[in-house]
Amino acid sequence: MIALIQNELMKIFGKMASWIYMVIIVLAVLVAGIIYMKFSADPNPNWRQDTQAEITMLENQMASASEEEKLMLQEQIDQTQEMLDKNINPTVKTNWHFMNDVVIGVSSLVTLFVVVVGSANVAAEFSDGTIKQLLIRPHRRWSILLSKYIAVIIYGLLLVLTLIVSGYLIGLVLFGSGDFNMKIFEVTLEGRKEAVVGTQFFLKMLYYIPSLLMIMTIAFMLSTLFKSQALAVGVGIFVLFFSSTLGGIILMLADKYTWAKFLIFPHLDLTVYALQERILEDITFPVSISILAVYYAIFMMVTFFFFQKRDISI
Amino acid sequence: MSQFALEVKSLTKKIGRKTIVDDVSFEVERGEIFGLLGPNGAGKTTIIRMIVSLINRTDGNVLVNGHDLDDSFTEAMNELGAIVENPEFYKYLSGYKNLRHYARMALSDITEDRLNEVTKLVGLEEAIHDKVRTYSLGMRQRLGVAQAILHKPSILILDEPTNGLDPQGIREFRDYLRLLASQGTSVLVSSHLLSEMQLMCDRFAIIEQGKLIHISNMHENESSEAKVLRTIEVEVSNSELAVKLLGEQMPEVKMASTEGARISLSIEKEQIPVVNKLFVENGIDVYEILNVKATLEDRFLEITNKDKKEQMV
Ligand SMILES: Nc1ncnc2c1ncn2[C@@H]1O[C@H](COP(=O)(O)OP(=O)(O)OP(=O)(O)O)[C@@H](O)[C@H]1O
Ligand SMILES: [Mg+2]
Repeated sequence: MIALIQNELMKIFGKMASWIYMVIIVLAVLVAGIIYMKFSADPNPNWRQDTQAEITMLENQMASASEEEKLMLQEQIDQTQEMLDKNINPTVKTNWHFMNDVVIGVSSLVTLFVVVVGSANVAAEFSDGTIKQLLIRPHRRWSILLSKYIAVIIYGLLLVLTLIVSGYLIGLVLFGSGDFNMKIFEVTLEGRKEAVVGTQFFLKMLYYIPSLLMIMTIAFMLSTLFKSQALAVGVGIFVLFFSSTLGGIILMLADKYTWAKFLIFPHLDLTVYALQERILEDITFPVSISILAVYYAIFMMVTFFFFQKRDISI
Repeated sequence: MSQFALEVKSLTKKIGRKTIVDDVSFEVERGEIFGLLGPNGAGKTTIIRMIVSLINRTDGNVLVNGHDLDDSFTEAMNELGAIVENPEFYKYLSGYKNLRHYARMALSDITEDRLNEVTKLVGLEEAIHDKVRTYSLGMRQRLGVAQAILHKPSILILDEPTNGLDPQGIREFRDYLRLLASQGTSVLVSSHLLSEMQLMCDRFAIIEQGKLIHISNMHENESSEAKVLRTIEVEVSNSELAVKLLGEQMPEVKMASTEGARISLSIEKEQIPVVNKLFVENGIDVYEILNVKATLEDRFLEITNKDKKEQMV
């Protein structure tokens, strides 16, 4: 098995494109870093005074506000006060803030490239005709396919690592070293949530991995079943960029139709769980991950079953 | 070690309601070059694909060096090397890396020395570290052979291996197969060209419409050649007189055709000097006697036509 995986890695890294994708990720992080630096407010060393001033201003408004407005203003004052109490500077920018706010967004690019490389890895064997040379070896078909799958995962993890390391280093250069344990406020649907910036980043990364794996598996399945890279990449991109939109729509339908909750789309992006407990009343992280696991098992079984059975006649 | 390098037993392939390969059985002995001969669409490639397990068998068994594909798949597969139709490679990798790739997939350890040995054997030392993208068709064909024999298989399976090779390349290839066979590797080779089978094989099976209709043994054919009628072409100064004389004096000689000064005869070997003498004694100058070899092509067509006639009855 090791030898098979070694072979697949050699094929992946024998292609220039696989390296270019890696470079693109670094460049994307760099560009994002420069934009982040240029277009967000500079860190304010006098933030305590300014925040205090803001509170005073809000309190002044309170005097002349209606009952309704008063409630809202009070809430705002409380939240702003909390920043002062906990000494959380909302304007501060360090490499960890950069990672948590920006680098995490580049992960879509990682998914995209893993989808492209993963589906090419299978589909190209068919389109180049090398599959017939590959399958007349003393190895069961499933083990050959599994070695491909594992190699693509390794490539994916390498891209994730590239993202994290380049995010850290570029952040370090542009924003300076920050405290991993610095407190931040995350704005969520459930209101502000206090978090530790470094932990929060890795939490999001951790939640990102299953969706990367899912989308990769879907693309891998499609390229195995239909021998077409275009189809696999197309569907992969669609899932990647529209799953959250589709997921939102499906969640709205979920009130009416219970089965809609079990569709894959609302569960694909697990990173929301880094910000909130639940996406629906009864859908929490364990529910989502279980639903994904079921889909995963089905996709894998379909992929390997068909590959084992199919006639290779190209 | 089993007696046969390859045994194929009642191999059958049906796709839908169509039977593409119908109950085909044959054996390939050790060190033998065995051919599959048949016109386009006869089912040669399908037979080969079933043997190398690229496609499922509807029925039948395949034993490679005594290992049944069904019972001991990996052992059986380790005993065969193949090129199915055109050899395809990872073009973005060097020839060497392509070979390494397949070497890693063998059950036994394939050393650096073995890789170099095979590279040398197929004459690719110069280009082995170049990307396969830059290879000519002949070079790819040779790399194809290299990847197929890397692990010293009991049987080498080649589907239309000389496709796209020039005459020089074909001759080299043939010599090369002979060399392998003499070292004990059996070869199963398919072609739709009879002449090629004649030159290459020890025995060959004729496949038509998915059925094995005949197995020819080249050595038998050669030794029995003396007794069969052969076709000769004679160029004479006066063909009219020659024809007349033949008709009168040797009525048993069949006249195939006359074309200007050339006449074609169907004749036994012993009668050739008799005919020559007859002409010379009657003042006819003989410029040339050409032995038009009774090719297997004719026999092949004979066999297949006979079969068709039987079917129609
Ligand atoms: N997947 C398939 N579905 C339906 N028919 C098929 C399939 N594959 C092959 N055939 C048919 O089976 C027959 C045999 O095909 P095969 O490729 O084995 O012939 P062949 O002897 O190798 O011919 P050639 O000399 O042209 O290579 C053909 O008539 C072909 O149309
Ligand atoms: Mg063929």
